Amino acid sequence: MINHFSATQAKGDPVLTMHGIVKTFGGVRALDGANLEVDTGSIHGLVGQNGAGKSTLIKILAGFHRPDAGSISIRGMHCQHLTPRRVEHLGVHFIHQDRLLVPTFTVAEAMFLGAEPGIGPIPLLNRREMARQATAILRYHFDVRLPGGALISELTPAERQIVQISRALLRDPAILVFDEPTAALVRQEVDRLFEIIRRLRAKGLTTVYISHYLSEIESLCDQVTVLRNGVDVGRINPKSSSTSEIVSLMLNRDIEEMFPKKAVSVGEPVLKLNKLSARGAFIEISLTLHRGEILGLTGLLGSGAKELVKSLFGLVRLQGGTIEIGSDRTEIPSPPSAVAKKLALVPEDRRAHGVALQMSVRENMTLASLGRFARFGFLQLSREKATTNELIRKLSIRTASQTSPVRDLSGGNQQKVVLAKWLSRQSAIYLLDEPTVGVDVGAKVEIYRLIGELAEQGAGILLLSSDLLELLGIADRILVMYRGQLAGEFDPGNSTSADLLSCATGTSTLRTGTETMAPAQRTMLGKDRLG
Amino acid sequence: MEPVATSGGDGFQVNGAVLLRAGSLIGFGLVIGYFALAAPGFLSVGNITNVLEQSAILGVLSFGMTIVMIAGGSNVVTGGIDLSIANNLGLSAAVYAILLKIGQPDVVALGFTLLTGLGIGLLNAIAVVAIGILPLIATLTVMNICAGFELVITQNTVLQASSPLLAVLAGDGPFGIATLAYLLLIVALVLIVVIQYTPFGLRLYAVGGFREAALAAGVSVDWYIATSYILSGICGSIGAVLSVALLSGSSTGSGDMLLSVVATALLGVVFSRRLVPTISGSLLSVLFIGFLINGFQLTNISSYWVNGVEGLLILFAVATTSLVRRIET
Repeated sequence: MINHFSATQAKGDPVLTMHGIVKTFGGVRALDGANLEVDTGSIHGLVGQNGAGKSTLIKILAGFHRPDAGSISIRGMHCQHLTPRRVEHLGVHFIHQDRLLVPTFTVAEAMFLGAEPGIGPIPLLNRREMARQATAILRYHFDVRLPGGALISELTPAERQIVQISRALLRDPAILVFDEPTAALVRQEVDRLFEIIRRLRAKGLTTVYISHYLSEIESLCDQVTVLRNGVDVGRINPKSSSTSEIVSLMLNRDIEEMFPKKAVSVGEPVLKLNKLSARGAFIEISLTLHRGEILGLTGLLGSGAKELVKSLFGLVRLQGGTIEIGSDRTEIPSPPSAVAKKLALVPEDRRAHGVALQMSVRENMTLASLGRFARFGFLQLSREKATTNELIRKLSIRTASQTSPVRDLSGGNQQKVVLAKWLSRQSAIYLLDEPTVGVDVGAKVEIYRLIGELAEQGAGILLLSSDLLELLGIADRILVMYRGQLAGEFDPGNSTSADLLSCATGTSTLRTGTETMAPAQRTMLGKDRLG
Repeated sequence: MEPVATSGGDGFQVNGAVLLRAGSLIGFGLVIGYFALAAPGFLSVGNITNVLEQSAILGVLSFGMTIVMIAGGSNVVTGGIDLSIANNLGLSAAVYAILLKIGQPDVVALGFTLLTGLGIGLLNAIAVVAIGILPLIATLTVMNICAGFELVITQNTVLQASSPLLAVLAGDGPFGIATLAYLLLIVALVLIVVIQYTPFGLRLYAVGGFREAALAAGVSVDWYIATSYILSGICGSIGAVLSVALLSGSSTGSGDMLLSVVATALLGVVFSRRLVPTISGSLLSVLFIGFLINGFQLTNISSYWVNGVEGLLILFAVATTSLVRRIET
């Protein structure tokens, strides 16, 4: 099944053309005549904000969705009805964002599912051959040694990613489509992935690469297609144009507006921690959060920063120290008691404890704070509606109506709904755990603006983030944790991401990167995971 | 280029499943051990083959349920389940007995019996896959349909049946061991090979384990789910033939077996390292329940306890597996 067609395709000719693709979900137009043309043997980037239609376009190419209109041709073959099987026969393989691997399978089973080697004519699984080939391909491409019997559920996200890429490579693909492949990878693994993709390009393989990280697109891709609101708004060569050009195409707006400035005077303390400790997580943390203040907090995984935030919501048991809210000494043994003390937590894993997909946008947004909309035990629809409208407007959520089920929204918009759910309760202290992770640039700006507004209304905000530029952009002060202790306090006005990073990693000689946020974040994670 | 770390999670997750499996096997061993001491003759060849013979029907039904659970996924509410399987046995047994009664030869009777099971499986498949009804509800209604038809054609009476095939099935095979005992092991062996050692089986697990992953791998998910119900339907009618052989006729009240079937299929999960339903795990749990009932009889414990104990075992299996799964995620 090795590249039957590629001989007839000259380098530079389009190997994949999607023309005028239209797709509507429950009244929302996800794609509105989008085009994608990918040259043979090139690495083609596909960028756009969440909700721009990238995922829909890719799912149509994968045969999961049928387009309402438009034509697709793959390797010169005009394809009317794409099914996942047919797409695979045509040599198009996908590395999905969700890492589509069966958790109860072994590495070898997951890699060979759908194309299992038999023992001669007998339809029995040749497990030995599967394990041998799986091990060989993992060694050859990634220099990874995974025990053959390891279950997918026991692997780290990076290892699962590698298994998925190996799965595609096993099938001699002609076109590989990567959908946000680096989201779970650390720096070194990203470098290795790029090296592999470039090596595959040299062998004539075509790659479609979808990513939020524009620095990756810039260093890897030969061409980039930019999607906005379901249409392609540009096809450019990233080598000859700058990242900001891509960003302004994506947003239809300049990058300077990224971090909305607010001028809020910081008020009296709302939260005081005195020598707070939790076993195995953090030791003797003292800090003060004021009204109207956005206090940034960062640290590597394992620095205790995340646990600190969780402990303030009663999710981590404390060992010692005191908490003062307002001027009262208090204890927060459980989330309900935290809510009672007017604390709100926006958890990082919003998708998991996030939305009820079949419920409407309105129901999802007001679910966490129904008490606010009730009078004499009955819900007041008018107030619910008004609040929902406001949140939809504030966060620019793309939805057909308040009553559309959340499952009809794009992934990015679903995330915004979850965020809105937590923000719709009015609290005195907001604990935000990576509020913009996995959110595109445009939605980030909206979230920053919303955080600013909360501060303006007098709330104290503890913002835990590993996005250093984000912290420098919107926080009033930044605290850095290292190995369970506060390692430094920074004034965003005269600090750089390099300062924060060297503090967080416990080094002072660290080089940091560039002005884009991805590498900084990456290096941190990378240091943490492998250091 | 240093090799990427090859850790397997944080170790605890693995131990959870392994401990559960080891604990279950030890529990099985302790129960057997207790009865071996308390009831002389419990471990005699005669008694063991007796348990195998008595477990054959439950075993075959349990295998059918297991296949449906494999393809339907582990979610107890939305996952795969075939509630019609026990009443399928009742209806298929009635069909078999009636056809023999009106003078049809074994071949014809057997053929129509298996067709009955296949038809019931097909009905489940259509309800679940084509119409998209929740399996719990779909198979519940099919269960009622089977029960209704059985009442109509038997008038709620026991139909006596005898034939050369039944005589062979009810008799003893080589070494004086009951034919049904052999059949249980043969069916188990065939299904273990098909489900656990073929690409077909692997895909069945993929469909139940992570539907989207199976789809992305080009597996026709709907076809596999439909097939699982059809296989389950056929298991129901095979169970019917064994039941007619064992009881020399059809019998009323086959629906009472349902709880045992569900219990053994769910309990089978704790015998697998990956906490998934397996044919071998279900065989073990069927034998476990068989030995338990047999032990009760030999030690003069009232058989009224059996239902309660089965309920407890379901609770144990579901609670522990979901607990371990929660720790894993």
